[in-house]
Amino acid sequence: MNRFLLRVPLMCCALAVGSGCVTSTVDEMTFNEPAEGIGDASVVILGRRHASDYETEPDFIECVGDHIASRDKSINVIGELEFINALYPWFEPRTAPLRPEDIDRLLLQEPVAEKMAELKTEYMIWIDGSTVRTDSAGSMTCGIGPGGAGCFGFGTWGNDANYEATIWDFTDKAEVGRINTSASGQSYMPAVVVPIPIIAPVQGTACDGIGDQLLEFLSSEF
Amino acid sequence: MSRSMISVPDYCRPAALAGILVALAVMAGCGPTKVVVEGNFPPPLMEPLPLSLGVWYVEDFANHEFFDEAKGRSESSWLVQTGAAQVQMWDTLLGSMFENFVHMKGPPGPGQMNPVVNAVLIPHVDELQYTIPTQTNVKVYEIWMRYRFELVKVNGEPIAEWTMSAYGKTPTAFLQSDQAAVNLAAVVALRDAGANFATGFNRVPEVQQWLQARQQQERKPQAPRLEEVSTP
Repeated sequence: MNRFLLRVPLMCCALAVGSGCVTSTVDEMTFNEPAEGIGDASVVILGRRHASDYETEPDFIECVGDHIASRDKSINVIGELEFINALYPWFEPRTAPLRPEDIDRLLLQEPVAEKMAELKTEYMIWIDGSTVRTDSAGSMTCGIGPGGAGCFGFGTWGNDANYEATIWDFTDKAEVGRINTSASGQSYMPAVVVPIPIIAPVQGTACDGIGDQLLEFLSSEF
Repeated sequence: MSRSMISVPDYCRPAALAGILVALAVMAGCGPTKVVVEGNFPPPLMEPLPLSLGVWYVEDFANHEFFDEAKGRSESSWLVQTGAAQVQMWDTLLGSMFENFVHMKGPPGPGQMNPVVNAVLIPHVDELQYTIPTQTNVKVYEIWMRYRFELVKVNGEPIAEWTMSAYGKTPTAFLQSDQAAVNLAAVVALRDAGANFATGFNRVPEVQQWLQARQQQERKPQAPRLEEVSTP
């Protein structure tokens, strides 16, 4: 009996450590890769927020930035909020440039041109997309009583992530690449007294996929 | 042996006190969901316009709040207070957008003691709407505002009046409360209002005309001084 009681938490831990399966696809098309890397210039990664029914998640943008900066320490990635605050109001959803040619119009303003030069922005990467929940099924009941609390049941849900990164060369005012990543996965949550989430890291996989491709483009080491 | 007697009102007895606390907690749960909008607003990165602008915040604007009563038992009432954040954002924006920016001491009008400025801006929030995911099938929190601006001279004479909309949204996020999400959507809407105003002020036809008239006046040659008009 004691052995069985010991095994239950161990099984729970093993299941909790495991994660659901994710299928991911990455498409890439880039030109004029900087063969020597980007030197002491910097990169900014921004989320597109024009659509009315979804918004590119700020934490996804942060995840891609961290992915690049942690793997190649020589690449300076400017934080999204830091950049849009420094250049307010020119990168708000209403005013953000939609085409690389629009950068020229922005640089006509002396304070904007000075700030851009100060930040040494060489590449501007726009990411557009979101992660959505596709379906869910199952049911779970939880109860609490004088003897304790517990849940019983089973739940499952799917997530789809679809993101596209567009790379703008700031010096040439031209688009130099597009990277598309899509990922989907199914998460499960069985519950026998304790709910055990087996989460499919869909957004994380999409972040790694897009981050790896951007690293290949920006870094001389990859 | 003496024993001190302290009379304790009935409602101070532990059982009664616990009952009152439970009742208060239940009543607090029945109140509206209150959001006092708070955020940081960056100054705009632009050449300041060569104008001395005054601003007059009417009481409704400086204490602006929006109350939406629950339609049914499953919904809760909402009270969104944007006044302080409005004043904070417009002060930051106007302070960097114009060469000189002052707060007026009273409403612009004849006989009113006020600082001398080229024009006074009086902002109003005419309408505010919000949606949260429980009201729609879209998983975003949204705030929409319609502003009305009056640009007048110090004596109250109107220069221009126009309306402007602002919109902010934020996606649902894990472990983010409804209040935090509505606050974030309101901050995004205020930033959008600032961006719309900063980039559109010069394009309001009446403002454009007024600015052009001012430029022409400044370009006019000054009347010659007496000593310059000298003679033979």
